[in-house]
Amino acid sequence: MSDHSITVPIGPQHPALKEPAGFMLQVSGEKITGVSIRLGYNHRGIEKACEDRSYIQDIYLIERICGICSHSHSTAFIQAVEEIAGLQVPPRAQYIRTLVAELERLHSHLLWLGVAGHEIGFDTLLMYTWRDRESVLDLLADLTGNRVNYGINTIGGVRRDIDPAKIENILKIVDAVEERTKYYINLATEETTLIQRLSGVGALSKEDALRLGAVGPTARASGVARDVRRDDPYISYGELDFKVCTSDQCDVYGRTVVRLLELMESFSIIRQVCAKMPDGPVSVKAPRKVPAGEALSRYEAPRGEDVHYVRANGTDRPERVKVRAPTLANLQSVAKMLEDRYLADTPIIIAAIDPCFSCTDRMIVTDERSGSTRGMCWDELRRHGIEWYRARGIDTTRIKLALP
Amino acid sequence: MEEEKTVNELVGEFPFLDGAVRVPRARRIFVTVPLDRFQSVFRRLVEAKGFTYLTTITGLDTGETFTLLYHLAAENGVVCTLGTSVPRANPEIESVSRFFNGGDIYERELVDLLGIRVNGLPKGNRYPLPDDWPANQYPLRKDWRPEGAPAEPAEE
Amino acid sequence: MGIGKKIMTWARIKSPWILHFNSGSCNGCDIEIVAALTPRFDVERFGVIIRGTPRHADVLVCSGPVTRQIRDRLKRIYDQMPSPKFVVAVGTCACTGGVFDGCYNVLGGIDSVIPVSAYIPGCPVNPEAIIDGVVKLVGSLEEGKSA
Repeated sequence: MSDHSITVPIGPQHPALKEPAGFMLQVSGEKITGVSIRLGYNHRGIEKACEDRSYIQDIYLIERICGICSHSHSTAFIQAVEEIAGLQVPPRAQYIRTLVAELERLHSHLLWLGVAGHEIGFDTLLMYTWRDRESVLDLLADLTGNRVNYGINTIGGVRRDIDPAKIENILKIVDAVEERTKYYINLATEETTLIQRLSGVGALSKEDALRLGAVGPTARASGVARDVRRDDPYISYGELDFKVCTSDQCDVYGRTVVRLLELMESFSIIRQVCAKMPDGPVSVKAPRKVPAGEALSRYEAPRGEDVHYVRANGTDRPERVKVRAPTLANLQSVAKMLEDRYLADTPIIIAAIDPCFSCTDRMIVTDERSGSTRGMCWDELRRHGIEWYRARGIDTTRIKLALP
Repeated sequence: MEEEKTVNELVGEFPFLDGAVRVPRARRIFVTVPLDRFQSVFRRLVEAKGFTYLTTITGLDTGETFTLLYHLAAENGVVCTLGTSVPRANPEIESVSRFFNGGDIYERELVDLLGIRVNGLPKGNRYPLPDDWPANQYPLRKDWRPEGAPAEPAEE
Repeated sequence: MGIGKKIMTWARIKSPWILHFNSGSCNGCDIEIVAALTPRFDVERFGVIIRGTPRHADVLVCSGPVTRQIRDRLKRIYDQMPSPKFVVAVGTCACTGGVFDGCYNVLGGIDSVIPVSAYIPGCPVNPEAIIDGVVKLVGSLEEGKSA
């Protein structure tokens, strides 16, 4: 058999993907009959590198595990270190961390919404949500000094304080973005094209979600009310009032609705944080060397639970740092979601877990009937999906947007 | 508190655990068991104590042994870290994939990065090291040196 | 310069088609590259179009250090691009390996595997810097510096 597979990297269309991954799909005609996933294209050896660097250096390294949930990783790491060192972090620092965390969730969910729109051929939505996302990035830049990879965390607190002018600005922009989000929620609940295109796609039952260890919005859209912010409160979440958004749809539509509702919860959390912001210092002095000990830290990142385990040995470098990012947990479910679905649904199903591996580089599709193997790049597959549905009367490009 | 209740029940059922359990803070339990007791305690935690979610597995190089930590979470927010050790000379452990379908990816990390043999691991792609990675090079072992990595992959 | 070549250079300057490739990036630069395409920054006004395949691309925009596993993929993509071709390294990691330099699965910057025409440093790169890099690359094409 000649190798017709071609390698086509997908980047910009796939901003939400962090790690290049290879998907191997077996299809019979249009139906998917088997899935195998090869990961590790993005394995850089960060866990080992952490052992050779000091705790302070590690914060910046760990922040770069992922550029989208950078605050999630750095907070999860320093929480573990602070627990081992027995540091009492000032409440004001914890509130600032919470504020950045929720702003990060806003930009990440808006990003996802745009990407999901792109995958189903609804590029207008991509342009709208990414414009809204820019105003959230402005807030993050104002607060931390950078749009991405904020560098606000340090062991014992945060590196920058917040002033009333910034809070006022945050509240103003949050109001504006909330108005837009309400519009998107209306769109998702009323636009029949979207509902037809997303309902029943990528089904994952509650039992399967539990069995396969799904996390974050992927699990919550299958009726699993699992949210570390509520179950195992960290930073300031214990003092804040919010709902865990779930859906019983168990499909891509449910995952969309859950993320949209979570945006609304995030607006409310941000307002509470701004209103309750305590006075006081924003950091305490941290020792250079951390006493021997171990800690497990959990964090509800936009994509789901992020787990860090740190073991210290009394020096200024950790003995071991273990990171379990949410996408790894959710990938187990993707194979299940793809089973028996149409090839045309693949892009949106994979995108719907909001995976953090970039450039789903190559798809090899094997047709059982003819036995031939063809390589399909993400973009071809995406266009195939859009055309396939258009031929069946579902055309997302016809949706008219009339934003307030 | 929930974690105290779990610990008391566990020590009641497995008296040899007395003194091998630590509760450093709310919702965190650390248990260390010898390798031959590992399966029975693990099964009990998963099947009867509500620890129905394997968050991840951490492998550490601890000199003469490798320490394996299974971080099991319950829906009430409690995480029980069940640890055991395997000898460096013969690092071997049973797979937990019969309890957790999603657990194999974490076990593959142990295989690739620490060189632990996991018996009963379902067939699948290696993770996370590259295809051309040489055998017997395990980066997370403390005595591993970067020189062991393939210098420059051979030109094709 | 023959008339045919002149037309090709003119077309390339007016509308460089780019391909984005993540060779092991943290995604920070990747989202900024996309941000550069969306309404606020809008590099499409310079005629830049993102393509999904290397065979259509003039410019390869790379982010991230090169990991061992992705190395052959990156070379293959570069080989598949038609000449003349240009590579832009976006972000500190792509320029030098950055914060990941020395990690066992990282080979270094993009230029450790394929030749690079333009380096845009930053961690992550700001969309403004990406636009600046693109404009400078197009400018150098105009002067006929790189071929």
